[in-house]
Amino acid sequence: MPNPANPANPVHDRAAPFANEPVLELRRAPVRDSLTAALAELDARLPLHAPIMIGGERGADSGFESTDPSAPERVVAYAGRATESDAGAAVAAASRGFREWSARGAAERAEVLVRAAATLRERRLELAALMVRECAKPWPEADADVCEAIDFLQYYARAAVALERGPELVQVPGERNTMRYVPRGVVAVISPWNFPLAIPTGMVAAGLATGNAVVLKPAEQSPACALALVEALHGAGLPPDALSLLPGFGEVGAALVSHPGVHTIAFTGSGAVGLEIVQAAAETPDGQGHVKRVVAEMGGKNCVIVDSDADIDEVVPALVGSAFGFAGQKCSAASRVIAHEAVHDALVERLAGAVDVLAVGPPERFGTDMGPVIECEAQERVLAYAREAGQAGRIAASAAAPSGGWYCPPTVACDLDPDARVLREEVFGPLLTVEAAANVDVACETVEALPFALTAGLFSRSPATVERVAARLPVGNLYVNRGITGAMVGRQPFGGNRRSGIGSKAGGPDYLLQFVEPRVVTENTMRHGLVVE
Amino acid sequence: MSHCEELLVRVGRGLHAALPRPSRHPIKALDAKGMELASSDAELRAALFRLVDVTPACRSHDDLARHLTEYLKEVDERPQALQAAMRVAHTAPGRAALGAAAATGVRHMAHRFIVGESPQAALGVLEGLWKEGSACSVDLLGEATFTSEEADRYAARCEEALEVLSAAARSWPQRPLLEADSAGPLPRVNLSVKVSALTPLMRPEAPHVGRDDAAQRLRPLLRRARDLGAHLHIDMESLDALETTEELVFDLLGEPEFGDGPSAGVVLQAYLRDSGRQLDRMLEWARASERRPPLTVRLVKGAYWDHEVVEARQHGWAPPVFEVKAESDRNFEELTRRLLDERLTKDSAGKPDPWHPLLRVAIASHNIRSLASAIAHNRASGGEDHDLELQVLRGLGDELGVAIAASGLRVRSYCPVGDLVAGMAYLVRRLLENTSNDSFLGEQQRGASIDELLAAP
Repeated sequence: MPNPANPANPVHDRAAPFANEPVLELRRAPVRDSLTAALAELDARLPLHAPIMIGGERGADSGFESTDPSAPERVVAYAGRATESDAGAAVAAASRGFREWSARGAAERAEVLVRAAATLRERRLELAALMVRECAKPWPEADADVCEAIDFLQYYARAAVALERGPELVQVPGERNTMRYVPRGVVAVISPWNFPLAIPTGMVAAGLATGNAVVLKPAEQSPACALALVEALHGAGLPPDALSLLPGFGEVGAALVSHPGVHTIAFTGSGAVGLEIVQAAAETPDGQGHVKRVVAEMGGKNCVIVDSDADIDEVVPALVGSAFGFAGQKCSAASRVIAHEAVHDALVERLAGAVDVLAVGPPERFGTDMGPVIECEAQERVLAYAREAGQAGRIAASAAAPSGGWYCPPTVACDLDPDARVLREEVFGPLLTVEAAANVDVACETVEALPFALTAGLFSRSPATVERVAARLPVGNLYVNRGITGAMVGRQPFGGNRRSGIGSKAGGPDYLLQFVEPRVVTENTMRHGLVVE
Repeated sequence: MSHCEELLVRVGRGLHAALPRPSRHPIKALDAKGMELASSDAELRAALFRLVDVTPACRSHDDLARHLTEYLKEVDERPQALQAAMRVAHTAPGRAALGAAAATGVRHMAHRFIVGESPQAALGVLEGLWKEGSACSVDLLGEATFTSEEADRYAARCEEALEVLSAAARSWPQRPLLEADSAGPLPRVNLSVKVSALTPLMRPEAPHVGRDDAAQRLRPLLRRARDLGAHLHIDMESLDALETTEELVFDLLGEPEFGDGPSAGVVLQAYLRDSGRQLDRMLEWARASERRPPLTVRLVKGAYWDHEVVEARQHGWAPPVFEVKAESDRNFEELTRRLLDERLTKDSAGKPDPWHPLLRVAIASHNIRSLASAIAHNRASGGEDHDLELQVLRGLGDELGVAIAASGLRVRSYCPVGDLVAGMAYLVRRLLENTSNDSFLGEQQRGASIDELLAAP
């Protein structure tokens, strides 16, 4: 099979500066054929098994299963169901693994990460296929997920090497000041299913690159994707104890969060769980010799402001992509459009027409615009919000959705009661509301009034408006005249403010600082009046 | 210098000599001045593009003036006139006056490229062109197509254009050079259509989706064109649309009901690295096809260069286009030669048969060297002048069109029709092309000598 990955920009060499892994050029038929073939090969091997892995030992590999959201009777993987005692064993292994792993220098650790990235690259077709099956990610987004995972490994590997050098301090005669960053210890990573490879890879890679040991608790919906990451890292020379995998449910995550041997918790998921983690992590029981740190990426209610001078030809496809890509199941997804009253009606009409023609169907089919949502509960939640939107306003578009999987129709709602719940709460599904505002400043007030501050969008062709809105909106990521999803490692460091998250931005220059402790050493270099440097 | 190259230079000099002398018309001089200004300063060019781009969305002259001054603020070195413009924009009456002036300027520029707001309104210009010896291909400008209704509306506009043009063209005087070649009659009415406007379902990763949806609207248009005896040309857009477009055209033209017509054509973009293989596929299709009217192939350089390069860079892909202009120009000549050489079928005795070519060849360029190479190669290989068509863009290649017609060759002007709002995307692309630093027209405007203009790329 020809290698479909474009060789234009490979970054296999750690010495090369970071560059994003190129996504597949899906407009070329042979590339599409290679993915279809990879899916057929994967299907022949289903169901997979994702065991509990502690200290390199494969434990139980059945207990629950992940299924294909577009055909829920298809089991994608059987997974071991980790318990509280598994969590304890994994933290104990991590404490052992930490000593060996942290003793290696950043450069040596970076080699391991880069080798793991190479493994993911070699397996990219198969991994994309796995995401199609386990999470119903359509091909372009499944492929982008693999690329982002590779990017995180490559980016943090390089960043950790740079960080190890430490910052420059003021020096005076007779004194030597040095500052360096040391790993905190054991990181518990609790990851979501919506970027089933990229997000766990990002959090795990950040912990490992800086010399921590990691225990990974992936979402119960996507254990097989998480296993691929763990295998890649172990295969790349990571000490087995330095990374354990605990497939399972909330109870094992809670056990990790409250475990006194855990130093840092890296979490991406819902706001409710995030806040519980922040509270639980604040406990410092006797015998726990440190205060835990929490890095949490939580939800959003992401707004897009469309001013009267916007180019509607650009607005419509950007909104459709941002709101309905991967069925709106991205923390960055567009959820609420606030349009200048002069363009509101025309925008609703064109947007509705564009949503009417969206193809909802199985994600493995090229030409499917939107697949199902992840599971039955998600489907019920989205449909309930859509019903509410219909009662509180008008449904402008709702494309047909097939039966059989957890499908929801992509829906556009407008003319809503300003107090409608759907305008304030995160839906995390394919539902977009549109409302009118008298001007951009009124729209900004609406955005500012929300407790969330993750992403936002602005469409305007006035440089002064762009500047004013950028200065004003509290969001972590503002996108101007483009879609509001698809942040790239190193190009758009990603993360929210306010109740959307605590901690600095993933894929950005300061993310690793959250996984380390600063230490300063000051040495007197005067001996009997003589400087002995 | 080879024989062919000598011939090329002779033809090129002839064309150059036939160019009308620079116009003294004050408006045209102003245009030239504006273009020169824009091409001399990248920041100024950006400001001009942004102004043209935003004009249709501005609600008032005041609004337009505000946008204009904001764009100008980002220009470091402002010519005095613009400096003055920014000063007057501090007051409301000043802004109103400035906005009105800017709107007039943009409208004027648009009229240079857009022949009328509707086919009906364009008839005068089209008939004038015809009488002066230039055929036309009408292109209906429009907003992007996102909905089925928008696609239906575009198809309806195309059908209306076919009707209106056909009715009017009947009374045009005879122009034998424009109406027939060795393979037979050439329709007077020629409409260019865009596949991306015929369907809201263009999906680069799923060409069959857009193809099937567009087919439902293109098929009735082909029938109408056949019944009216008009030519339908399927434009080529960015690479994302290429597979959809190619499959659509080959599939539909292969349907039995279109065996005898209409006359139809496709586009080959020389800036694509893969264009040689694309031509292979066209020839292969033509050889296997039993259609009677030969497929017309319009060779162009390609109008989406910036888009293709930027998209590729952002994704980390190898750009699908030649990045050095000279490579594109060389490929253009290479494809020209191939088209002219390989279009012919052989008769039973193995001799070339000019009456039944596989393809009709149209060379669309404003590069005198490119045009001359086509004319020279056609003549050198024994072809008739009337078996080669040359094409220019309305607004950019008008003078060249006059020169081609005066040289006794067939020329066709590509004429956009549509309103100002809808035409802006087109206009910006044309401006970009016209003012880019290495464009042929740019070189010509800067006063490059004919020898430089005819030098091999």
